[in-house]
Order: sequence, then C-alpha cells, then structure tokens
Amino acid sequence: MSLIADLDLIAGSGKSPWHRASALSKMLLAFTLVALAIAFSSPRLLLVVHVAAWLLALTSRLPFRLVLAAVTYPAFFSLLFLLLTWSGRLTDQLWLLRPLTAGLVAVWLIGTTPYPDLFAPISRVVPRAVGDALFISYRTMFSLMTSLEQMMRALKLRGGNTGSPWRRWGVAGEGLGTLLLEGFEKGERLYATMLLRGHAGRICGCRHWLEWTRDDLWVMGAFVLLGAALLAGART
Amino acid sequence: MSHLHLPDGVVPLWLWGSAWLLAIVIAAVGFRREAATPQRIARVGALSAVMLAAMAIELPLGPVEFHLTLAGPFGILLGGFGAFHVALVSGSILAFAGHGGFTLIGLNALLLGLEGTVAAAVYPVLSRSRGAAPAMAGATVLARLVAGAAWIAVMVLATDSRSRESGVPARHAMLASIAVPLLLVGVVIESAVAFGIARFLERVRPDLVTRGTVPLEVIGESEAR
Repeated sequence: MSLIADLDLIAGSGKSPWHRASALSKMLLAFTLVALAIAFSSPRLLLVVHVAAWLLALTSRLPFRLVLAAVTYPAFFSLLFLLLTWSGRLTDQLWLLRPLTAGLVAVWLIGTTPYPDLFAPISRVVPRAVGDALFISYRTMFSLMTSLEQMMRALKLRGGNTGSPWRRWGVAGEGLGTLLLEGFEKGERLYATMLLRGHAGRICGCRHWLEWTRDDLWVMGAFVLLGAALLAGART
Repeated sequence: MSHLHLPDGVVPLWLWGSAWLLAIVIAAVGFRREAATPQRIARVGALSAVMLAAMAIELPLGPVEFHLTLAGPFGILLGGFGAFHVALVSGSILAFAGHGGFTLIGLNALLLGLEGTVAAAVYPVLSRSRGAAPAMAGATVLARLVAGAAWIAVMVLATDSRSRESGVPARHAMLASIAVPLLLVGVVIESAVAFGIARFLERVRPDLVTRGTVPLEVIGESEAR
C-alpha cells in the first residue's frame, strides 16, 4: 500500500510532460492500451502494446523501483496462472505480456495524475454515492495507514506480538477495531465538511482535468506512434 | 484467497464482462434498497479505506504473504450490500495500483460481497446463542469458505477457458493443492482477527455488534454513545 502513497506523492509533484497533460487524454490512452492488450491475441501486436507501456512508464520519471513493484505483482499471479495452463509452447510466455502491460499502464496513469483529476471524470460517470465513497476512501486511507503503522509498532513494543498465533491475530483484530472506529469518524467528518462547503456530487468542481494543454500533444503523439506501430506490426 | 487480484487479460471476456454487469446491477439495487444517506456513503468510504489499510498488513506464510480482507466483519457491520459497495470501492483503488486489473473489479467485488453477504446472514443466527466475538469468528469462517470455494470455481472456469485455446487440459489438481491450504490458513487468520474486532467493539461500541445487520444510520449517535 505504500506503493499507492509513493505514487500519490509523485503524481502531485512530478515534472514530466505526462504530469502536465490533461487527465482525460491520459485516461483515454491508458484504457486504449489496456483494451488492446486484452483484445490482441497476436504475439507481435501484443509486443508492440507492451513496449508502448514500458516507454510510457520509463519516460514518466517514476522511480524504477515503483515501476518494478507495479509489474511484479501481476507477474506473480500471471506466472501462477501460466503454470496451471502451460502447454509447453513459447507463445504462452508472450501471453504474460497482457497483465504486465496493464500493470505498467496503471502505474503510469496513477503516477502522473493527481487523484482529484483522476476521480473527477470517474465521478461523472458513476453514481454519486460510488464516486463520493471512492473519494472519501482515498482521502482517509493514508491517515488510516499511518495510524495502523503506529498501532502495529505500539503493539510490538507492548508485547502484542507474543504468545500463540491465535492470541497475536486476536490482538491485531482489536487494533483493527480501533482503526475501524477511527475510520468512521474521519470519513463522516470529511463528508460533512464536503457537504457544508457545497459539495454536490462533483469531485473537483474545476474542469482542468479536461482542459487540453500543450503537453497533450505528447499524448496525441503516443496515440499516433502506437497506431503506426500496430499497423506496421499487423502488415509484417 | 477470496479476492482475486488477478490482473487484466487472464480471465476470459465472458466471465469478467458478465461479472461487471452483475456488479453494476447489484450496486444499483443496493443503493436503491438501502438509501444512500450521507452517513452511509461516508461509512462505505471509511470501511473501504480500512479494508485497504488492513490489506497492507503482511502476514508472512512461508514464501508468500497473507493479506487480510475483513469482508466478513464488514458484511456483519454494514450488511451484504454494504460489504459489496466497500469491495467495489476498494477494488477500484487497488486496480489503479496494478493490484487486480480494471476488468476484474466487478468479479472481485462480487466475491468479496458474497463473503460479506454470507457473514451478514449467518451472524444473527450464531449471535443468538453465543457472544459477539465467537459469533463473528464463526460467521467469518463460513463466509470465507463459501467465498473461497467461489474463488476456486472462478479459477477453474478461467483456466478451462485458456485450456480450450491451447488444447492442453488445465491442472486442476495443482490449483487445488495451492488454493485449498491457503484458503484454510486464511480462514483461521481471518476468523481470529474477526474475533478480536468483535471483542473490541463489544466493549466500546456494543451497539455495532449486538444488532447484527441493522443499517448503521438507524442507530442514533446519542444512543450509540
């Protein structure tokens, strides 16, 4: 989960052209790439989309360890899946590229887009309750994680990690009970504040998430290059 | 082991597509049946955050790490629909971090929602004869077993679909040898944690655990204090 915290920090403070491009164009590019990765069964086309995802992730100036972390997780589950369905053909390995591509694209998108810009378009297409809950969850998650870390440290110092596993897990559960009540309090206070300030179901009332900037040309360029590469890949 | 975290491109289109559709229908019905009051929205958001924070706790199990979900206890606290909404929100955030694909959000929400629904249904029965802590632990055991079985069924469907493409039969025995032990370990850990949560809530907010799945907004704040 510290992965999300690190990405969130970089999304707001990063200086790459991707960071300056509008959220809407980046989301369109991201979802196009994920859709293509899922749809293609040709190894060559899949490889083109995968290379495009790596290029996006590497040019966004995200720390390499974060990019690697984002890829490792889907890779582990995909390997497990591959093991269960392995046919002995090399093309099976290329099939692994699908989830890796999606993971890379996800880390590029969340690492270059501040969360209000990310949630603003989402809140316009999902029911208000879901959009608001998503926003509250994301906002309170970081402070709850800090509380959880402190609580776990305190438990360790006070002997909470001693005794049988059943006792240790039970004590951890009691700690999570406090976190649950703290979450209720924080969530309700945040939402009450939002409503008092005139929140009417639109996360980020501003519209800069869809305002096109000069840096959106990079996104357009990525679309054009991707299209050209796919055409070339399809012909050869 | 009751949430997939499988990445995009692994599960066949018909499976994740129909799961998305079903998830949308359940989400809509849930918000219609249980009014989306500000307090409920805030609590769904808050519990999603708690679920995400709890998932960050890594309990080492040999070469792998076990992550809590708390879907059972949340189902008891918010009801089946509430647990489903919590799973939908937390799954969406996780997908943006590459933990579980965008296409799998619906399927993950259905599995975790199922766990919450089973726990919410079983808890009132168990709590009649037992205290809140053993009742919550027992409901979590049953809910986890049901959701775990559903998880294995999804994996069988997904691997079978892949096998039809490759012409090589899927290794179901291998799947069972990996999934079943992990599921059983998960049942023990989650139920112990659920026991602890209920023991704590019974002391400080007994109203939350003695009423089962009564919607939280029904309970007045003054009464709760």
